[in-house]
Formats: sequence, C-alpha cells, structure tokens
Amino acid sequence: MSGTTLTASQLRAERWRLRLAGFRSFARRFASHPAGVVGVVIILFFGVMALAPELIAGPFENATRPSGTPLEAPSSAHVLGTDEQGRDVLNLVVHGARISLAVGLLASAITIILGAGIGIIAGFFGGRVDTILMRITDFFLILPTFVLALVLAPIIIDVFGVGTEVFGIRMTLVAIIVVIGLTSWASTARIIRAQALSIKERAFVDRARVIGAGPSRIMIRHILPNVMSLIVANTVLVIASSILTETTLSFVGLGDPQSPTWGTTLHYAQVTGAPGSGAWWYTASPGVAIVLVVLAFTLIGNALDDTLNPKLKARR
Amino acid sequence: MGGNYLGRKAFQALVTLLFVLIVNFLLFRAMPGSAERILLRNPHISAEQLEAQRVRWGLNKPVFPDQLVDYLAATAQGDLGFSFEFRGQRVTDVILAKIGPTILLIGIGEVIALVLGLALGAYSGWRRGGPVDYVGTSLALVLYSMPSFWLGMILLIIFSTSLGMFPGNGMITPGITGDPLTRLADLMGHLILPGVTYAIGYVGQYSLLMRSSVIEVLAEDYVLTARAKGLTEGRILRSHGLPNALLPTVTLVAINLGYIWAGAITVEQVFSWPGLGTLTVSALGSRDYPVLQGIFLLLSFSVIAANFVADIIYSRLDPRVRS
Repeated sequence: MSGTTLTASQLRAERWRLRLAGFRSFARRFASHPAGVVGVVIILFFGVMALAPELIAGPFENATRPSGTPLEAPSSAHVLGTDEQGRDVLNLVVHGARISLAVGLLASAITIILGAGIGIIAGFFGGRVDTILMRITDFFLILPTFVLALVLAPIIIDVFGVGTEVFGIRMTLVAIIVVIGLTSWASTARIIRAQALSIKERAFVDRARVIGAGPSRIMIRHILPNVMSLIVANTVLVIASSILTETTLSFVGLGDPQSPTWGTTLHYAQVTGAPGSGAWWYTASPGVAIVLVVLAFTLIGNALDDTLNPKLKARR
Repeated sequence: MGGNYLGRKAFQALVTLLFVLIVNFLLFRAMPGSAERILLRNPHISAEQLEAQRVRWGLNKPVFPDQLVDYLAATAQGDLGFSFEFRGQRVTDVILAKIGPTILLIGIGEVIALVLGLALGAYSGWRRGGPVDYVGTSLALVLYSMPSFWLGMILLIIFSTSLGMFPGNGMITPGITGDPLTRLADLMGHLILPGVTYAIGYVGQYSLLMRSSVIEVLAEDYVLTARAKGLTEGRILRSHGLPNALLPTVTLVAINLGYIWAGAITVEQVFSWPGLGTLTVSALGSRDYPVLQGIFLLLSFSVIAANFVADIIYSRLDPRVRS
C-alpha cells in the first residue's frame, strides 16, 4: 500500500472513473430489457418533437391558423388531414408535444417531491408523525382523486383568473399541473416510506447520528440517496400516469385553448363531432401520440425498476 | 376477534367519511360562487338585504363550529343545496335522475370485463410463457396506456360511423315506439359500444391480477400435493388453483365498484350517454359547483363503502387476515 496516498485531483478522477463504470454497468443491465430500449427510442423521438417542433412540422402559427378547408382527409398537402377550422392536424399534434410533455413532467415533479418528502419524513421520524402522515396518505389513496381533481381545477382557475400567468405558464395549465400533483402523491409516499423505514435501521445512520448529524442532514445526505433508485423508477411511472390524467382533464374541457395539449385537441375533436363525421385522422392522431408516450414511459419505468431494484423483483 | 376487526374497519371508514365531508365543506368556502360573493357582486343590494340573506343562509354564524355542524346535519339529511345550472332544483334530485343510466352502463361493462379478464388472466397464468400469455400481457400493457375515451372514439368511428352497426349516440332512439322487446333491443344496441369501451379498460387490470394470482397459487405446496396424488392439470387448476386465486380479485372488484363511476365520466361523454358522467362534464362547463361537489361526495361515499365491504368479504373468505 506504499505510495498510494491520493492527491485531491487523483481522488476526483478516481471518483469519476467509478461513476462512469457504474453508469456503464447500469446501461448494460438496462439494455438487456429490449422493451425499455424501445421506450427510450420513442421518448427520444417525442423529445425532439417537443424541443424543436419546427424540424418536423411548420412554425407554431400553422398550428393556430387554418391552412386548408375544414375536416380535409389526409393528403400530400396535409399528411394527417385538417381539423374543424382547417388547421393542419400534423402541426397540432407536433406542437402539442411540448405542452403535453411539459405539463406531465411538471405535475410529476410536484407528485414526486410531495410523495418522497412525506415518505422520508414519515419513515424517518416514525411514531406520531408517521401515524398522522400515513392517515392522510391513506385518505388520498382511498379517495377518487380524479374526481377531486375535477372539482379542484375549476376552483383554482376561477379563484386566480384565467388570464393570469405563473412563470410564463398560463393559469389553466398551472391549475392542471397543481391539481395532478396534489392528488397523486400518495402511492409514492407509501413506497418511499417503506424503504426509509428499513434504511434508518442501518448502521450508517446510527454512525451519522453519533457524530452529531441532525435529522434533516441524515434525511437528505443518508436516506435520500438510498431511496433514490426507487424514486427514479417511480418518477418515470408517475410521468406516464400524469400525462394520462392531464389528457383526461383536458378532454372534459379543463384544458387551455391557447396552448393545446393532445387532450385538448381530442376535446375539440369530440365537441365538434369529428368521430360522428368520420374524421378518423383528427381523432386518431393525438391519441396515437398519447398511447405511444404513455406506453414508452411505462416500459422504461418497468425496465428501470428491474435494473435498479432487483431485490424487489422477487416480491412481485 | 371478528367483531373487533369489523369494528376497527367501520371506525376507519367513518373517520375517512368525516375527512371527505370536511374537505367538501372547505371547498364550499373556497369556491368563487358562494352565495355571499354572488350577492356581493350585485351593486344594487343594500346592507340590510345582504345581512338578511346572510342570516337566511346561516352565513352570519362563525364558520367553525356552527357552519360546519349545520353543513354536516344538512348533508346527513340528503340536502346538498341547489344546482346553479338547473335553477331551483335540488342537487340530490339532479344527481338521482342521472344515476340509473350510469349504473346500467357500468353494470354491463363490469360483467364483460370480469368474465373476459378473469378467463384471460387464469389461462395466461396457467400457461405461463405461452402465446396467449405473451399476447395477453402485451395487450394489457397497451390498453393500460390508452385513455378509455379515446378507445371509445375510435370504436365509434369504426362500428357506428363507418360500418353503421350500432348507434353511437344516446341511450334510446328518440321517439321510438313499439312493443317492449323492440325497445329493449334498441337499448341494448345503444349499450354495446359504451359498455365494451368501458369493459376493455378493465379487462387488462383484471387479467394481470388474475395471472399473477394463479402463478402464485400454483407454486403452493397443496398444488404439489394435488399433483402427487395424480390429479390432471385441468383438475388441479379447477379445484385447487382457481378458488384460491380468486381471493385477491374479490377485493379488487369490490374496491373497483367504488371507483368505476369515475371511469364512466369520459366514456359517457363520448357516447352522449345520459348519466352521471355527462352531468359531470356539463356541470364543469357551467361551473355548477354544488352539483360537482355532490358528485364528488357520492363517489367518495361509494368508494369508502366499497372498501369497507371488501374488508368484510375478505375476512369472511380468508379468516387469516382477522388476526
């Protein structure tokens, strides 16, 4: 062991090497799930669509301005036909990707922060804190949360006004994001709490406590990193269900006509009677996008769960 | 021991119900259309008139505990206030008028989903890794990713608009006359598309649960014993596998019975089915908060009741959970 004292820069290099090796081994194990890889490819495709919609379809104006006659069937000019105002459906779907994905991701962020936070706090403190938090969690698990979201969303929109914006996001979308976040964190909290309960009994938590670490430090520096793999896999599955919930809320008319998601487009297809007039291109296109994205996130989530939490596999 | 278990479950259900009522009460205070604020918007109203209205609606009393107690008492008597949209109609009446069609729709849908889902799941689990298992499990995953209302729209385009096989709109052909049999056939025709749409959404869920349940049960020692006795595989599945594998599905079905209302909301909208779902969407459009909250209360109550019933049934079927 002589001469192995590492300098600070060597230590850093070594850390990076280990991290890279860890990532490589993770990538190799993930790649052994073909379904997960398919999911990643689909999400990359829609990610490009969301970041640079102009590459695939025309500019955003084409999605808001009519460029053909109403309800035109697919042709070379309009690959996916037109909607009831003569707008290009391909344009609508491509430009809907950014808003649909953004709403889904932001709602999932709220869900995960609430769920993981409540789960870690309940698991770590135990006792009365745990009892109270888990009672609230059970309450949200048992409630028909979709219906609660339906009642809450218009209240939030009406209280704050349709025209207002938060961080440049229109109020209608903010309401949808907040409502999804507030009503869907409970199962995440349950999963994280169970894991936190077992981790806080490990020796390294005792050691941290002995050298004087406070509860918040232990939770952030010792428990959080150890439940991270569960959080990651859960997040991806939560994104899938958030996008589905957003679609449904927009479909019943809570969406924002100014920033149409796929669900909002389906709402207008329904309201203007597209299914009854046989305009399958108008109805099918946004739906196919939704199914592909949700399926892709579900496939990735399942593959991540198998890769990151192999011990839990036997349980299922 | 059994009475104790049921007592604890009943207490939990009551506490949850109280929570729901308090949430509903708070929502009523937060919502923008409360009676007081509507009155305040009218500039011609005098202070005396406003005060009289406040006394009439009990708004002059403190929010807690008086208003809360009044609210709980009124709700317990089935008084949920008045609808904004249907002026002068009680929320209870507005909702009750729409319950029948919804129960009919979800009843049929649930039966189709159960029969198909349990059969598919049992077979997939029994012949694990076989072609039916592979196709069924993949299909269940795709169906899980699909908003059921979208599936409904596609079915409507194919079977109603294009092929003209079934009507895609409403529950009864307007102005239909004739003998009861003709009218029943008309109703059934209208019921098929929404019923199947609704059912397909749940087939995946039931089949996945039944599949894993069958796989688990077939690994039990008593199945090995049965096999050692020389029973045929089919006999083992029927007499030893299925009865035990059905246990968890009983709970899921009971719990689902509480949730299925919510699933009907969008499907009803697609097929203009005149039930609670269509009422919910129209109440959303006109911001008819009393009706929306009434629906929320009804659905929450049915979920809590369904959970309680599931607990009772399960403890009867499987005495192990009571201890």
